[in-house]
Amino acid sequence: MTKADLHYELSQHRLDNGLQVVVAPDDAAPGVAVNIWVEVGSADEVPGRTGFAHLFEHLMFQGSGNVASGEHMATVEALGGTVNATTSSDRTNYFETVPPGALDLALWMEADRFASLAITPENFEAQRQVVKEEKRQRYDNQPYGDLLELLVAQHFDPSHPYGHLTIGSMEDLDASSLDDVASFFAAWYPASNLRLVLCGPVSADEGLTLAEKHFGDLPTLAKPHRREMPAHGHRSPESLTVSRQVPHSLSYLSWATPPAAHPDIPALDMALAVLSDGHASRLHRSLVKQSDVAYEVHSGMLTNRSADSITTVISRPADGVSLEQVSDAVLEGINQLIEDGPGEAELDRAVAQFERDWLWELATTSGRADAINEAWLVHGDPQRVNTSLAEVLALTPEDLRLAAKRWLQPDAAHRLLYRAENAS
Amino acid sequence: MNRPDVLLATPWHFPTPTVVTLDSGLTVWHFHLPGQHVATYEVVLPTELTHESREKEGIANVTLHSIDEGTHTHPDGGIGELLETQGTTLHGATRYRYTTFGGQSPSRRLRDVLPLFAEVLMEPAYADRDVAHHIEAQIAGYESRLASPGAANRIALRAALYDPEHRDSRPTGGTPETLQNLTAADAVAWHRAHFSPVGATLVIAGAVELDEVIAGVAGWQAVGDRPTEPRPPSPGQERKVVVVDHPDAVQATLALAMRTVTRDDPRWPALRVAGHAVAGAFASRLNLELRERLGYTYGIRGGFAPGVDEGQFSVGASVRTEVAGDSIARTIEALSLKDALTEQEVDDAKQFLIGIAPLANETSADIVNQGATLAGSGLSPEYINAHFADLAQVTAEEATAAFREVVNPEQLTIAVTGAAAELVPALEGLGLSVS
Repeated sequence: MTKADLHYELSQHRLDNGLQVVVAPDDAAPGVAVNIWVEVGSADEVPGRTGFAHLFEHLMFQGSGNVASGEHMATVEALGGTVNATTSSDRTNYFETVPPGALDLALWMEADRFASLAITPENFEAQRQVVKEEKRQRYDNQPYGDLLELLVAQHFDPSHPYGHLTIGSMEDLDASSLDDVASFFAAWYPASNLRLVLCGPVSADEGLTLAEKHFGDLPTLAKPHRREMPAHGHRSPESLTVSRQVPHSLSYLSWATPPAAHPDIPALDMALAVLSDGHASRLHRSLVKQSDVAYEVHSGMLTNRSADSITTVISRPADGVSLEQVSDAVLEGINQLIEDGPGEAELDRAVAQFERDWLWELATTSGRADAINEAWLVHGDPQRVNTSLAEVLALTPEDLRLAAKRWLQPDAAHRLLYRAENAS
Repeated sequence: MNRPDVLLATPWHFPTPTVVTLDSGLTVWHFHLPGQHVATYEVVLPTELTHESREKEGIANVTLHSIDEGTHTHPDGGIGELLETQGTTLHGATRYRYTTFGGQSPSRRLRDVLPLFAEVLMEPAYADRDVAHHIEAQIAGYESRLASPGAANRIALRAALYDPEHRDSRPTGGTPETLQNLTAADAVAWHRAHFSPVGATLVIAGAVELDEVIAGVAGWQAVGDRPTEPRPPSPGQERKVVVVDHPDAVQATLALAMRTVTRDDPRWPALRVAGHAVAGAFASRLNLELRERLGYTYGIRGGFAPGVDEGQFSVGASVRTEVAGDSIARTIEALSLKDALTEQEVDDAKQFLIGIAPLANETSADIVNQGATLAGSGLSPEYINAHFADLAQVTAEEATAAFREVVNPEQLTIAVTGAAAELVPALEGLGLSVS
């Protein structure tokens, strides 16, 4: 394989009811990945019902016409498969990987819940409690547990579709009822709002025939569309300092950056890698290794599909350095990148790391199926899995400099200073 | 439409590596996997943490993590730049009985990467500043773990499972009081004594030929001698119940555990099957009760984990504080296995444990992780296939009997992290005395 030459064969079809299918055959793979993306996420929730898209994901395992509560998971496990589901702002993802001989059964179970979800009041109540425990376990009972919420609030009003976390508010979950289940299903779960990817030892013909066999009878209903929303959140920088009982003070600098499909995203991603990915990255070298300003510097991007994304650079100040000082030093380093751009060697390192990460993501059928669905939803084209590596390999140092200049201006940075109580 | 039938899968076998031992004393397990664009490799060093001195615990881990900051040939981050340019990331883990150090690279770049990897193994610079940075990072990491209920509870559980005099009662990475004693000279000395090819195993999987592998690492030769003092025997165990007070916690984080037999016990396959049915599966007895029926928790998980010469049975969950006592009571009740495991439960568990193998060994990293675990435990690559054959033979009676013999729920050590003011009375209400 030459490095940019990825070619996964994908065949794409649309059933009469609007359900879209991609089959990505891989004869050598040990299992078939079934990956369904429903085009609904927490950004589609209505006020007063935050968290419902995710609660609904739990309910999808609570039984349907021919499958008992919990039986879906138990059956896949007993076949030697893996199964789960996740919810984000932009989509709900149901997935399993099964031995090839169990694909027929897996699709039958999937289709059954999309055709005849059957929730009892007891199941509904138990899952509401389970989700509350999930929120406690992941957020409320963790150090820095409110950090993400504070960060999002710096960028979006609570009334904005991206202004709340996917886990939602417990008050809203308490206020929801079985009636909401039916109306949410009716609004968002028609066949026309589903994308099904099959990846593994299954031919294009076989995959399509099975998709038609199991999902073809779902009713034909118009595809729902996400409501219009403001494209931008708060773009004028805000500063917030909080004190919490946490082990270390942290500085979170963040920027409103463009939505997931924007052409600047690959260059911006590589610019962040040059700044803070790995021991040889700029900020690690200048602030951690060569001076006593920071102990750690990292970056990340929370990409949104329909409005601004949020790009963060996180730093932990060294002893005797204030959060303000470490933040200024990070911004100074970013400013240098904006002025001088990266060197060829810096770009080469970032791209080589991207290459390995990307090949690794595609190394399993489950990872590949998910990447195909992501490319499909974000870019409208599943074939992007075959071209995104070449796109990154074609970037020049000037592309990175311009992306940083456009999106990471020091005076556009929001500051979230998360101070450890008892720390200086 | 009727429920479709499942076509039985063809039997799966763990791939067979080519095994060679080089003049240096390094053994290579080479898994040739032409379809893997990303190769994974790991050196397994038979290093016992009992060789750390009490006041310098954590030196093994600091030595490991500072190893790639610079070499004598490419100092001050130079080696890292070369490795990153080759799309390489290195990683390592310090365990009580062995240390692993390895990485991942695109298979097509391995010819250039392996000599650099060998350079890291042979001539790390251990600059004062770099080692100091890693010591700080380890101290910060320890503080973070103490603040995180899951990690804090695991530390407390381990301390309760072992006699406090034994190395295994304390974290692999040391604690702030020992980490602060470490210097770069300590790292140099530890490296010299323990990073030797003698007795070490390189496990490598990917689209790479054996001769390339051998050429890449042949230069790694022994410098120092490994210490030979034998490991002190594992201490006895008695039940302890401990509570870590996190007064503002909004949940209780629970763990119940005991040290057990491991792979060399004839009941081991039966124990794994029983552990999966009781606590390992989503549809395990415990998860169906505590999560799906009662909504107490996001999930309870557990089972048997093997070790070099002893294993561990454990279950863990985070639950609402007010139902912590009831959760523990129900867990102990379920673990007493008053109702024998059914044929269906045992069949489902066996099918999962056997059937998951192809998926669990899909990538080069999966194969290398498995291989490194075997090498670290002194087992051969053939162990896996023999174990799967044994799993297939386990009956419901054997699974039930083995579990009842090995797990005495009245003797499980219990650690709970959360609001002690509520949790201690709840535990005492169950007749448990909190130490």
